[in-house]
Parts: sequence; C-alpha cells; structure tokens
Amino acid sequence: MFTPTADRRSLLDRAHRGDIEGAFGRLAAVDTGPRRSRARRLAALAAIVGPGVIVMVADNDAGGVSVYAQAGQDHGLALAWLIVLLAPVLFVNQEMVARLGAVTGAGHARLIFERFGRRWGRFAVGDLLVLNLLTIVTELIGAALAVSYFGISRYVSVPVAAVGLIAATSTGSFRRWERTMCVLIALNLLVVPLIVMAHPRPSVVAHGLAPVLGGGLSGQLVLFVIAMVGTTVAPWQLFLQQSSVIDKRITARWLSYERVDTLIGTVLFAVVAIAVLGCCALAFDTTAWHGSFVDAAQTARGLQARLGTPAGALFALVLLNASVLGAGVVALSGSYAIGDVLGVKHSLHRGFDDARAFHGSFAGLIALAVLMVLVPGAPLGLLTTLVQALAGVLLPGATVFLLLLCNDRAVLGPWVNPRWLNAAASIVVGILVVLSALLTTSTLAPGVDLVKVALALGLVLVVVLVGLAVAHSRGHSEREGPAMTPWEARTWTMPRLETLPPPRACRERTIALVALRCYVLTAAALLVFKALELVT
Amino acid sequence: MSPRFGADVAERVADAMFALSAPSRVLILGCLLDGPATVKDLMEKLSMEQSTVSHQLRVLREYELVTVERVGRTRVYALRDEHVRGLLERAVDHVERDRSQGSKRRRATGRGGG
Repeated sequence: MFTPTADRRSLLDRAHRGDIEGAFGRLAAVDTGPRRSRARRLAALAAIVGPGVIVMVADNDAGGVSVYAQAGQDHGLALAWLIVLLAPVLFVNQEMVARLGAVTGAGHARLIFERFGRRWGRFAVGDLLVLNLLTIVTELIGAALAVSYFGISRYVSVPVAAVGLIAATSTGSFRRWERTMCVLIALNLLVVPLIVMAHPRPSVVAHGLAPVLGGGLSGQLVLFVIAMVGTTVAPWQLFLQQSSVIDKRITARWLSYERVDTLIGTVLFAVVAIAVLGCCALAFDTTAWHGSFVDAAQTARGLQARLGTPAGALFALVLLNASVLGAGVVALSGSYAIGDVLGVKHSLHRGFDDARAFHGSFAGLIALAVLMVLVPGAPLGLLTTLVQALAGVLLPGATVFLLLLCNDRAVLGPWVNPRWLNAAASIVVGILVVLSALLTTSTLAPGVDLVKVALALGLVLVVVLVGLAVAHSRGHSEREGPAMTPWEARTWTMPRLETLPPPRACRERTIALVALRCYVLTAAALLVFKALELVT
Repeated sequence: MSPRFGADVAERVADAMFALSAPSRVLILGCLLDGPATVKDLMEKLSMEQSTVSHQLRVLREYELVTVERVGRTRVYALRDEHVRGLLERAVDHVERDRSQGSKRRRATGRGGG
C-alpha cells in the first residue's frame, strides 16, 4: 500500500526536508508504508530515537546535577518523590512541542511570532536568548568545578570544552552530531554504578522514601523545591525539541515513534536524577556532610571520602559531562531560534560555511559565556540568581504560548490537544506559573512571607482555572473542526504559515493572554523595584 | 560516462529550487521582474501582510536570489542578476506549456489514474 508523505509545507530550510539520518539508522523520505513486523518497527524507532532522549537527558545539566545532589545531601531521599512527579510534567510539555514540530515544520519561535504578533515574539525570543546565555555560563561554571576536582585550571578546561562543542556542532552532519550527543548521554548514565557503590540497604531506602509532608515544611524547603522544579522544567527544552524534530526531518507520519523517543528520554531523565539524588542521600546519611551542601565539587570530595576515590572521580566526571552536554544543547536552542526568526539557513545538516549565521550565533553564544566565566571577579553568584529570576519570567510565557498553540485549530488541525490533555496541561501550567511567580518574588523581594504569597497565588490560580473551565464548557461546540476521515486526519499537515487565517479570538485565549500580560508587567515592576533598591 | 555535475552542485541547485518552492516567494519574485521594489510596494501589489513579505524576502536573500540596497531610510529589493530573471521566466514557460497540453499529457503518462 502506498502512503503519501506528510509533507510539511512551512519549512524555512531545504535541509529540513529529506531522509531521516539518525545516529542508529536511516529512513528514506519516501519509505512511509506501514511497519507490520516487530523488527521493522524497531528499526524505524532506532532511526527516529534522538531528539527526545537528548533534550531529556541534557536536562540533567550542571544546574540539575548540583540541585539533585543538594537535595540528596541535605534532605535525604524524601525529595525523590518530586522527581517522580516532575517526569510526567516534562513528558506532557515535550510531547506537545514534538507534535508542533512534526505537524507544522515551523519552529517554536516562528509560530509565536506568526500567531501572537511581533511584540510577544520578540519578548519570547529575547528572553530565551538572555536566559540561554546565563544558563550556558552556569554550565561552564559546572564544568570548571568538575575539572577543579582533577586539579585542572579553568583557564584550560573551559576554552577546550568550548572549542570542542563548536567543532562537534558545525561538522555539517546531523548524524555525527547526534552520535556525539549519544556518547555524552551514555557517559551521563555512568551515575547509575555510583548508586551501587553507595550500598543501598532496603530498610534504609524504605525508611528514607517515606514522604515528609507533615513536619519540616519551612519557607526554605519551599524555596528549594521551587528551585528544583525551575532547573528541571526550562524554556530552552521547548524550543530545542521542536527545532530538533524539524531538523531531523520527522514528519507527522512518525509522530508515534517520536512520542516513544520522548518517553524513553523521560525515563532516562528520572533514572539519572534519582541516581544522583539517591547516591548523595545514601552516602552522606548520618554523617557531618548531611545538610551542609556547598557546591558540587565539595560533594565530589565528600563522596571520595565516604565511598572511595573511584566514586568521587565518577561523580566529577558525570558533572563535567552533564555541563558540556547542557552547554551544547542550550546554545543550540538559541541558534535554532535565531535562524528560525530571521529565516536564514539553520540546520545541523549544513557545515559552517553553508550556514554561517546559524553556526556563528552558536559559537558567539558559547564564546560570550566563556568570557563571562573567565573574567576575574565576575559576579557568578549574582548570575545564578539572575538565571532563576529570568526563568521565572520566561517560563509562564513559554508554557502559555505552548498550550494556546496546541489548541489552535489552524495550526494543528486534527492534531490539537484532546480535552483531557488540555485539562491536565492547564493544571500543570498553572502550578508552574505559581511556582515561578513565587521564585521571582522571593529572589526579587527576600523577606516576604512566602506562605502568604503562595496562598494568594494559589487562589488566583483556582479562579483562573475555573474561569477557563467555564469558558471551555460553554464554547466547546465551536471547537469541532471539519469532519475528516481517519486517513485524512493522519496525513494532515499545516498549510503554509503565511496563508493561515488570523487566530480566532475566544474566551480561553483572551483570559490566558490577559493573565500573561499582567504577570509580565508585575514581574517587570518587581525587577525595576529591585534594581532601584540595589542602586540606592 | 561520468556524471555532468557532482553532489555539491546538486545540493546547491536543490537549495535554489527550494527558494522557488513557496507560492508567496514566487509571487514576490514575479513582482521584482518589473524592477526593484520596497516592502511597501510589494505589500500593495500582492495584498500580503508586511510580516509575510519581509519574512519571505529574507528567505530569498538567504538563498541568494534577491539583493537589498539601502536608499535613504528605505530598503529596495531587486533580483540578484539576469540569471534569476531567466530562471523564473523559464519556470513560468515550463508550467504554462504544461497547462496548454496538460490534459493530453496527463492521460498519456497515466498520472491521475488509479
């Protein structure tokens, strides 16, 4: 039986069209027939696996590894539950962007520009780029900490890592890039033997896993939990996976495989995160190190003292590797967004000379971050705070846009979110917005009673969610699109982006955009307030 | 017999043809056949949105079919050279010829049949 290719018509770069060339296999563009045998399905999956796994494992970057290590070292196994809760949140978000990428062929930044106007587009991309730059700085700090464990100077290690990353990204072969990333991912999994070295005893593990909800819920713990969520759910992941799915040439035909890819990635993310947390929890339980986290390098030395030299070295190696992987993908999400907005060639299938703006912006972002790390006396602590505050401003915007795009029938046609997913995603987005608002508030105005703010924001959240539900139940009849056969629905792709009708104003959309505008204005006002406070 | 051109030439040809693969870009190039124009001219002639025109012009520049020149405060866009004009005119000739004898040809090659 012949299956037509689901051709995405809004591509900006010819290199985004063609055969899938994954790290573990190829799929010809014309080879879209059904996969009847298990072997053929596995072969197709092997070719497609990549974008989801890379973005999810890279999520355990320098910030991630040190925050999970801190969770284990200071709070024992209790916070492992949080990672189990975060994994489905990550999966829901990333599945939505993977779907947007495969069905539309247009990057996340370009979709925001076209569907929400130039002002929101500039806000989203500008914020993303600044945040990415600062995140890369934290990755390079992580790398410097890791190599300091081995006694190597950061003036050697950081530039070497930067040059290596630029070289690995600009080879002009998507497959080679994906293979490099897979090597780094495999190295990240080295953290799993660490937990064996920590001698987990079933009784200790069972006792430690008992959730602590009753006592000990202090403002400090709330802040730490928020920081953990903030480092785990970051906006660059949304932009990266959408562009990566497009660059890998994955069409709607292969979306079910891409979902499996994302699922595998989610599991790997949880395994690595829990291994880091568990190993630190078990190794430092009932020692002087418990509750006294300083930084990841100190944790590596602590592990060396408790579990022996190999364990310390292994932890430092994982931290180094996570930092390099993180820097590589965070910078890539920035340069994809730039290429996407400017309409210049942006593909890993192209070498440096062929796509100068794309590779140049990647190299520029990395070089700028290197300079910021290596300048003596740079306020690195302030930078980390800035990353968290900015993430707080950007994340709500990114998730609200994501949810609205996934309900835009002109963009996704029969692929729009089903109602249950909207309900689940709205609650998740709402909680993320409240958490990041709390974080923004606490970084900008320390000393505020967080519990009161949390209650107030929770109330607002409930009101907005109820409002959305009411608006939704009233307006559901107009949501239904034209009748389609299952066949038409499966091969539907977005028409050319410039020919789409302007987005229809509906209540949900208006509520969400007004809420978002209020949020951004409040956050901006707080930022100005904080800046004035620092000046005087 | 050795092939007439190599893989790199094929890649570049495919890139150039990609630039012609969106109707809005072809329409913009068609307007530029009559001479250089600004974004505003193109918007009026084609009744397209400003964002669409600017965006597609950037793609055309990236694939080196169009050049831009600043005149005072406005940017004037033009076809890059006579080659682009020839390419476009021959592409139009090609499809027009196809249309005039289209139905007969289609039946003969079996296209459109079951």
